[in-house]
Amino acid sequence: MSVPNAHFTTLQGAYDVDLMEVTLRIRRYAGDGSRAETQSYTVEVPTTATLLDALDAVQNTRDGTLAYRKSCRMAVCGSCGMRMDGGAVLACKTAMKPFVDAGHVVTVSPMGNLPVIKDLVVDMTPFWQKVHAVKPFLDSSDVDPPEREWRVTPKQAALISKESLCIMCGCCVSECNSMESDPDFLGPAALAKAYRFVGDVRDGDTRNRLKDLSGAHGIWDCTRCYFCNQRCPKGVDPRDAIAKLGAEAFREGLTRDEGAKHAKVFVSSTYRGGYLRETELVPKTIGPIGAITQIPFALQLARAGKVPNPLSPHKAKDNAEVKRLWKLLEAQTPTTRERAARGDGAGA
Amino acid sequence: MRAAIEAKRCGVDVAVVSKLHPTRSHSGAAEGGINAALGNATDDSPESHTFDTVKGSDYLGDQDAIEIMCHEAPGDIFELEQMGAIFSRAADGRLAQRPFGAAGAPRTVYSADITGHVLIHVLFEQLVKHEVTVYEEFYCTQLVVDDGRCAGVLAWDIVRGGVHAIEADHVILATGGVGRMYYGTTNAFACTGDGMSLAWRAGVPLKDMEFMQFHPTTLKSNGVLITEGCRGEGGYLRNKDGERFMARDAPNAMELASRDVVSRAEWKEIADGRGVDGCVLLDLTHLGAKKINTRLPGSRELALDYAGVDPIKEPIPVRPGAHYHMGGVDVDIWGESIIPGLWAAGEAACVSVHGANRLGGNSLMETITFGRRAGRAAGERVREEGDANARIEAGVVADEERRLSALLRSDGGERPGVLREELAKSMYDKAGVFRTEEVLQEAREKVHELRQRARRLHLQDHGTLFNSDLVQALELQAMLECADCLVTGALARQESRGAHSRLDFTERDDDRWMKHTLATYDDGEVRLDYKPVTVTRFEPVVRSY
Repeated sequence: MSVPNAHFTTLQGAYDVDLMEVTLRIRRYAGDGSRAETQSYTVEVPTTATLLDALDAVQNTRDGTLAYRKSCRMAVCGSCGMRMDGGAVLACKTAMKPFVDAGHVVTVSPMGNLPVIKDLVVDMTPFWQKVHAVKPFLDSSDVDPPEREWRVTPKQAALISKESLCIMCGCCVSECNSMESDPDFLGPAALAKAYRFVGDVRDGDTRNRLKDLSGAHGIWDCTRCYFCNQRCPKGVDPRDAIAKLGAEAFREGLTRDEGAKHAKVFVSSTYRGGYLRETELVPKTIGPIGAITQIPFALQLARAGKVPNPLSPHKAKDNAEVKRLWKLLEAQTPTTRERAARGDGAGA
Repeated sequence: MRAAIEAKRCGVDVAVVSKLHPTRSHSGAAEGGINAALGNATDDSPESHTFDTVKGSDYLGDQDAIEIMCHEAPGDIFELEQMGAIFSRAADGRLAQRPFGAAGAPRTVYSADITGHVLIHVLFEQLVKHEVTVYEEFYCTQLVVDDGRCAGVLAWDIVRGGVHAIEADHVILATGGVGRMYYGTTNAFACTGDGMSLAWRAGVPLKDMEFMQFHPTTLKSNGVLITEGCRGEGGYLRNKDGERFMARDAPNAMELASRDVVSRAEWKEIADGRGVDGCVLLDLTHLGAKKINTRLPGSRELALDYAGVDPIKEPIPVRPGAHYHMGGVDVDIWGESIIPGLWAAGEAACVSVHGANRLGGNSLMETITFGRRAGRAAGERVREEGDANARIEAGVVADEERRLSALLRSDGGERPGVLREELAKSMYDKAGVFRTEEVLQEAREKVHELRQRARRLHLQDHGTLFNSDLVQALELQAMLECADCLVTGALARQESRGAHSRLDFTERDDDRWMKHTLATYDDGEVRLDYKPVTVTRFEPVVRSY
């Protein structure tokens, strides 16, 4: 029997693609405590291939023992965070063609700041523990829920739109400088998650959240290196979230942490004199008694010529411009307390 | 996760077992939205939602189940919102709603084009809040049925290795779909039909497996989906001559016709030589940068990353790809299967809400509503009946350990990845958008050949630490079983209905085929039975858009 339009069954040209050769150097960890070895693999992949496609080609055709995580291959599940040439990337979002064209062989290794299990697979347990530590769920238990939805204006919703993009891949944590020296630092992912609730007009636990986040290993322990912003594959900008948490903590009067005091001196000192008075910084951050204990260190610095004259601090000739800028910033800072917000219709 | 939260609320001991961390599951990739007749944008009603869904299903959906979903959907949406879901808002602060294919009103609640992402994260937040235990990166290898009722699962610890017995009076399968059996698919690598295969091997029928929905707008390079929201926001589909070809097949709904209709129209354009490099063109350029950047930022990012195209400036080449499996584990309106204590929800299940074709925005809704219902029903059953004392005998565990350690050592010569690719190409070529007896027969023979060859696998990784080779071998077995059910059902169904389009039987045949297919395990083979469709209010009429 001849069937009309039988040619419709199979899509012609479905598998026609241009191919290229790509070489990967992969740091391989056996997971038994032995040292990592670097292995090179050359595979043929489509010109549109990502790093993940290249790894799949290695695993399917060259070496089935290679271990890495993957699932969605569209940058939303957060499984395939790893390092390429020393910086964290999502393998599925990293096109290989530019490297092939440039004749550059990339080196792939597991993410940093997390224990390695095998090859490119890291133990995410510490990552998730920190997320759990920021009470990662909405708490609106202080008020009765509305019958339908909470009213949230698009402007209010926009306060947390960047943080809502986070896929928990760990790329920011991998590159976090603070975490390298303080493994207990909450870190950029957990703090961005925290801001997702602090900035949510539906959440009623802001003050307690900020209190907890202002303590040791919290928002003030970030070194502001911005590597998290740079490496985030989703545009979450965790450092910006940490800055917003700091601003909110100030607004709540939560300034007892040394980090908060430190930031405060920066602001007040530049406001008054147009310059940072570095000699004020230490006593005002850690208190007069703490400052005395730091005198030997200060003398050391002074001998090395690193201390400005404390008796005649820098002062700008005219710091009116600084003051104008300061006021402008004050006016523009997105006050999450536009949040008064919650009163303006929430639950209507 | 929705089921686990609800069961936990009943005060029972609950754990989630998943081969991925819960936020890595493929629901997170859903882009466009979730349908509920809230009436926020224009007048709407659950009745209208019900009718659209029945019609969309090509009258194969069970109307009692559809009514339940459409009436309970608004309450579920408000609950998700109050859990903290970050939805897009209208100017007055209420939930915004956008138009979607084959819907009588703008009824799709959304979060830009990352709706699944915000939902999966809000559910995980609730999992943390409710202190539900999670066994992550455990692959379930077997459902244990003891004395006719569910006793739990056996699971392989992917990270450390080893078989674990997880005893449970009730097991709810929420393992998603099986799109990976197709070469062109929107589905994640993880979508390998594991739960369907577990249920099938335990003796539960799989229902309507021949109905695989092809999404009309997927990228050629890796199958990634470009949301229906693009067309909802006004995008056009054009052929190589720039013509809006939907005018021929759906002159009224145009690009917003039902997905099966749009996929067929595209497939014909390409097969008849009016495509561009095996694709048609999704044109958003007339929408402007502002609209694209605020309403469809994720789609723009995907087009840039995986097609090298900026949709603000030029159209995106797209083609149909396997997207959503209407078929699944045969369950009732509470999610329970024929084995007491075994339940299923979401894409793994077939209630059936979607019938022969699912409407965009209905899958997230189904998974929430029926996930909640299954969790509630199972939780209450435990409360009423007390501990059923599920026990998994040591011998059962030992047998599974022997089976898996034999698989680990296997060196038969067939690589799992090679067989997987052969399966995927065969299914895409011969069990795709258009089918005939001839190609389906070829597909079936291929599946049988691959099932034989899969008994002689060769694993390169013999270790127990994060062994991807082993997991892929297990996934391959699940996919092959699902594929066998699919092609066997498709070969038998001599009509065209919804996503199942036969070139040799081009009409819908309600007299012979308005019935559900049941594919049951019969000594390793597929046995077919049928059962009637539940009709409450809507008698079948010709479906046109």
